[in-house]
Amino acid sequence: MKNKLKIERAIKNITQEELAKKIKVSRQTINAMEANKYVPSTVLALKISRYFGKKVEDIFLLEETD
Amino acid sequence: MKTKFLFPHRFKIIGWILFVPAFILGLYSIVSNKNMATINCKVFAIFSDSEKGSFALTDANIFTEIIAVLLICGGLLIAFSKVKDEDEYIARIRLESLVWATYVNYALLLFAFIFIYGLPFLDVMDINMFTILIFFIIRFHYFLLKSRKVLKHEEQA
Repeated sequence: MKNKLKIERAIKNITQEELAKKIKVSRQTINAMEANKYVPSTVLALKISRYFGKKVEDIFLLEETD
Repeated sequence: MKTKFLFPHRFKIIGWILFVPAFILGLYSIVSNKNMATINCKVFAIFSDSEKGSFALTDANIFTEIIAVLLICGGLLIAFSKVKDEDEYIARIRLESLVWATYVNYALLLFAFIFIYGLPFLDVMDINMFTILIFFIIRFHYFLLKSRKVLKHEEQA
Protein backbone atom coordinates (compact mmCIF):
# COMPACT_ATOMS: atom_id res chain seq x y z
CA MET A 1 0.00 0.00 0.00
CA LYS A 2 1.50 3.27 -1.10
CA ASN A 3 0.21 6.63 -0.09
CA LYS A 4 0.54 10.22 -1.20
CA LEU A 5 0.20 11.56 2.31
CA LYS A 6 3.48 13.46 2.29
CA ILE A 7 2.65 15.11 -1.03
CA GLU A 8 -0.81 16.14 0.09
CA ARG A 9 0.62 17.49 3.30
CA ALA A 10 3.17 19.54 1.37
CA ILE A 11 0.45 20.91 -0.91
CA LYS A 12 -1.56 22.01 2.09
CA ASN A 13 1.64 23.12 3.81
CA ILE A 14 1.03 21.60 7.23
CA THR A 15 3.30 19.64 9.54
CA GLN A 16 2.73 16.08 10.70
CA GLU A 17 1.85 17.47 14.10
CA GLU A 18 -0.87 19.73 12.73
CA LEU A 19 -2.35 17.00 10.57
CA ALA A 20 -2.34 14.62 13.52
CA LYS A 21 -4.24 17.16 15.61
CA LYS A 22 -6.80 17.76 12.89
CA ILE A 23 -7.45 14.05 12.35
CA LYS A 24 -7.24 13.34 16.08
CA VAL A 25 -4.53 10.69 15.95
CA SER A 26 -1.03 10.60 17.37
CA ARG A 27 1.86 12.04 15.42
CA GLN A 28 3.45 8.60 15.39
CA THR A 29 0.51 7.39 13.32
CA ILE A 30 1.00 10.03 10.62
CA ASN A 31 4.73 9.38 10.61
CA ALA A 32 4.27 5.62 10.38
CA MET A 33 1.81 5.98 7.50
CA GLU A 34 4.15 8.23 5.53
CA ALA A 35 7.00 5.80 6.12
CA ASN A 36 4.76 3.03 4.78
CA LYS A 37 5.02 1.23 8.09
CA TYR A 38 1.31 1.34 8.82
CA VAL A 39 -1.85 0.83 6.80
CA PRO A 40 -4.66 2.92 8.27
CA SER A 41 -8.11 1.62 9.03
CA THR A 42 -10.93 2.44 6.66
CA VAL A 43 -12.24 5.10 9.03
CA LEU A 44 -8.87 6.80 9.29
CA ALA A 45 -8.32 6.67 5.51
CA LEU A 46 -11.73 8.23 4.96
CA LYS A 47 -11.05 10.95 7.54
CA ILE A 48 -7.73 11.81 5.92
CA SER A 49 -9.21 11.89 2.43
CA ARG A 50 -12.06 14.10 3.58
CA TYR A 51 -9.60 16.49 5.20
CA PHE A 52 -7.65 16.83 1.98
CA GLY A 53 -10.81 17.05 -0.08
CA LYS A 54 -9.83 14.09 -2.24
CA LYS A 55 -11.07 10.56 -2.82
CA VAL A 56 -9.54 7.73 -0.80
CA GLU A 57 -8.20 6.10 -3.98
CA ASP A 58 -6.36 9.32 -4.86
CA ILE A 59 -4.34 9.22 -1.66
CA PHE A 60 -4.02 5.52 -0.88
CA LEU A 61 -2.84 3.25 -3.66
CA LEU A 62 -3.02 -0.53 -3.77
CA GLU A 63 0.19 -2.26 -4.75
CA GLU A 64 0.70 -5.55 -6.60
CA THR A 65 1.96 -7.14 -3.40
CA ASP A 66 -1.19 -6.33 -1.42
CA MET B 1 -9.55 -0.56 16.22
CA LYS B 2 -9.99 0.81 19.72
CA THR B 3 -8.44 -1.37 22.39
CA LYS B 4 -11.00 -2.29 24.99
CA PHE B 5 -10.41 -2.79 28.69
CA LEU B 6 -7.75 -0.11 29.07
CA PHE B 7 -7.46 2.08 32.13
CA PRO B 8 -7.59 5.87 31.85
CA HIS B 9 -4.24 7.56 31.35
CA ARG B 10 -3.96 8.97 34.87
CA PHE B 11 -3.81 5.45 36.33
CA LYS B 12 -0.40 4.90 34.80
CA ILE B 13 1.43 6.97 37.39
CA ILE B 14 -0.36 5.11 40.17
CA GLY B 15 0.88 1.91 38.59
CA TRP B 16 4.49 3.08 38.72
CA ILE B 17 4.14 4.17 42.33
CA LEU B 18 2.87 0.73 43.31
CA PHE B 19 5.22 -1.23 41.09
CA VAL B 20 8.69 0.24 41.56
CA PRO B 21 9.18 -0.17 45.33
CA ALA B 22 7.64 -3.62 45.23
CA PHE B 23 9.89 -4.59 42.34
CA ILE B 24 13.04 -3.44 44.11
CA LEU B 25 12.11 -5.19 47.33
CA GLY B 26 10.99 -8.35 45.57
CA LEU B 27 14.06 -8.57 43.37
CA TYR B 28 16.33 -8.06 46.34
CA SER B 29 14.57 -10.69 48.40
CA ILE B 30 14.83 -13.30 45.63
CA VAL B 31 18.45 -12.53 44.86
CA SER B 32 19.55 -12.45 48.48
CA ASN B 33 17.29 -15.36 49.46
CA LYS B 34 16.67 -13.66 52.75
CA ASN B 35 13.42 -13.15 54.55
CA MET B 36 13.30 -9.38 54.26
CA ALA B 37 10.63 -8.53 56.76
CA THR B 38 8.10 -10.24 58.89
CA ILE B 39 4.59 -8.87 58.88
CA ASN B 40 2.50 -11.34 60.78
CA CYS B 41 -1.22 -11.21 60.85
CA LYS B 42 -4.29 -13.42 60.65
CA VAL B 43 -5.22 -14.39 57.13
CA PHE B 44 -8.18 -16.23 55.69
CA ALA B 45 -6.80 -19.23 53.81
CA ILE B 46 -9.02 -20.89 51.26
CA PHE B 47 -6.33 -23.49 50.76
CA SER B 48 -3.59 -24.13 53.23
CA ASP B 49 -1.40 -26.91 54.53
CA SER B 50 -1.29 -25.51 58.03
CA GLU B 51 -2.73 -27.51 60.90
CA LYS B 52 -5.93 -25.48 60.76
CA GLY B 53 -6.64 -26.77 57.25
CA SER B 54 -8.65 -25.05 54.51
CA PHE B 55 -11.27 -22.35 54.91
CA ALA B 56 -9.85 -21.18 58.21
CA LEU B 57 -8.15 -18.22 59.78
CA THR B 58 -4.46 -18.79 60.26
CA ASP B 59 -1.30 -16.81 61.08
CA ALA B 60 1.08 -15.98 58.28
CA ASN B 61 3.87 -13.66 57.23
CA ILE B 62 2.25 -11.62 54.49
CA PHE B 63 5.36 -9.77 53.29
CA THR B 64 5.59 -11.65 49.99
CA GLU B 65 1.84 -11.41 49.54
CA ILE B 66 1.97 -7.63 49.75
CA ILE B 67 4.86 -7.49 47.27
CA ALA B 68 3.01 -9.76 44.83
CA VAL B 69 -0.24 -7.79 45.03
CA LEU B 70 1.62 -4.50 44.45
CA LEU B 71 3.57 -5.95 41.54
CA ILE B 72 0.49 -7.37 39.86
CA CYS B 73 -1.80 -4.37 40.37
CA GLY B 74 0.95 -1.86 39.63
CA GLY B 75 2.15 -3.82 36.63
CA LEU B 76 -1.34 -4.10 35.16
CA LEU B 77 -1.94 -0.37 35.60
CA ILE B 78 1.37 0.51 33.91
CA ALA B 79 0.88 -1.95 31.08
CA PHE B 80 -2.77 -1.31 30.33
CA SER B 81 -3.38 2.34 31.03
CA LYS B 82 -4.03 4.37 27.91
CA VAL B 83 -1.19 6.31 26.42
CA LYS B 84 -1.94 10.03 26.21
CA ASP B 85 -2.85 9.85 22.54
CA GLU B 86 -4.13 6.32 22.22
CA ASP B 87 -5.11 5.53 18.65
CA GLU B 88 -5.24 2.62 16.21
CA TYR B 89 -1.51 2.61 15.51
CA ILE B 90 -0.68 2.48 19.21
CA ALA B 91 -3.24 -0.31 19.52
CA ARG B 92 -1.35 -2.34 16.96
CA ILE B 93 1.94 -1.69 18.72
CA ARG B 94 0.31 -2.85 21.95
CA LEU B 95 -0.77 -6.10 20.37
CA GLU B 96 2.64 -6.76 18.83
CA SER B 97 4.38 -6.02 22.10
CA LEU B 98 2.09 -8.41 23.92
CA VAL B 99 2.80 -11.19 21.41
CA TRP B 100 6.51 -10.52 21.67
CA ALA B 101 6.44 -10.55 25.46
CA THR B 102 4.54 -13.85 25.46
CA TYR B 103 7.08 -15.44 23.13
CA VAL B 104 10.06 -14.23 25.15
CA ASN B 105 8.45 -15.23 28.43
CA TYR B 106 7.75 -18.78 27.27
CA ALA B 107 11.10 -19.14 25.56
CA LEU B 108 12.81 -18.39 28.86
CA LEU B 109 10.40 -20.67 30.70
CA LEU B 110 11.12 -23.51 28.30
CA PHE B 111 14.82 -22.96 28.79
CA ALA B 112 14.34 -23.01 32.55
CA PHE B 113 12.30 -26.21 32.48
CA ILE B 114 14.94 -27.97 30.45
CA PHE B 115 18.06 -26.72 32.21
CA ILE B 116 17.13 -25.79 35.79
CA TYR B 117 16.28 -28.40 38.40
CA GLY B 118 15.64 -28.68 42.08
CA LEU B 119 15.01 -25.80 44.42
CA PRO B 120 16.35 -23.07 42.10
CA PHE B 121 13.42 -23.82 39.85
CA LEU B 122 11.18 -22.41 42.55
CA ASP B 123 12.90 -19.07 42.06
CA VAL B 124 12.18 -19.37 38.35
CA MET B 125 8.48 -19.93 39.01
CA ASP B 126 8.48 -17.00 41.44
CA ILE B 127 9.85 -14.66 38.81
CA ASN B 128 7.87 -16.13 35.94
CA MET B 129 4.60 -15.00 37.52
CA PHE B 130 5.52 -11.42 36.71
CA THR B 131 7.90 -11.50 33.77
CA ILE B 132 5.31 -11.43 31.02
CA LEU B 133 3.99 -8.10 32.31
CA ILE B 134 7.52 -6.81 32.75
CA PHE B 135 8.59 -7.84 29.24
CA PHE B 136 5.48 -6.23 27.78
CA ILE B 137 6.09 -2.98 29.67
CA ILE B 138 9.71 -2.87 28.53
CA ARG B 139 8.93 -3.68 24.89
CA PHE B 140 5.94 -1.33 24.57
CA HIS B 141 7.70 1.64 26.15
CA TYR B 142 10.91 0.98 24.23
CA PHE B 143 8.86 1.23 21.09
CA LEU B 144 7.10 4.43 22.21
CA LEU B 145 10.45 6.04 23.08
CA LYS B 146 12.02 5.00 19.79
CA SER B 147 9.16 6.44 17.74
CA ARG B 148 9.30 9.67 19.71
CA LYS B 149 13.01 9.98 18.88
CA VAL B 150 12.25 9.45 15.18
CA LEU B 151 9.68 12.24 15.38
CA LYS B 152 12.22 14.61 16.97
CA HIS B 153 14.59 14.06 14.06
CA GLU B 154 11.88 14.77 11.56
CA GLU B 155 10.63 17.89 13.28
CA GLN B 156 10.81 19.93 10.11
CA ALA B 157 9.09 17.34 7.90
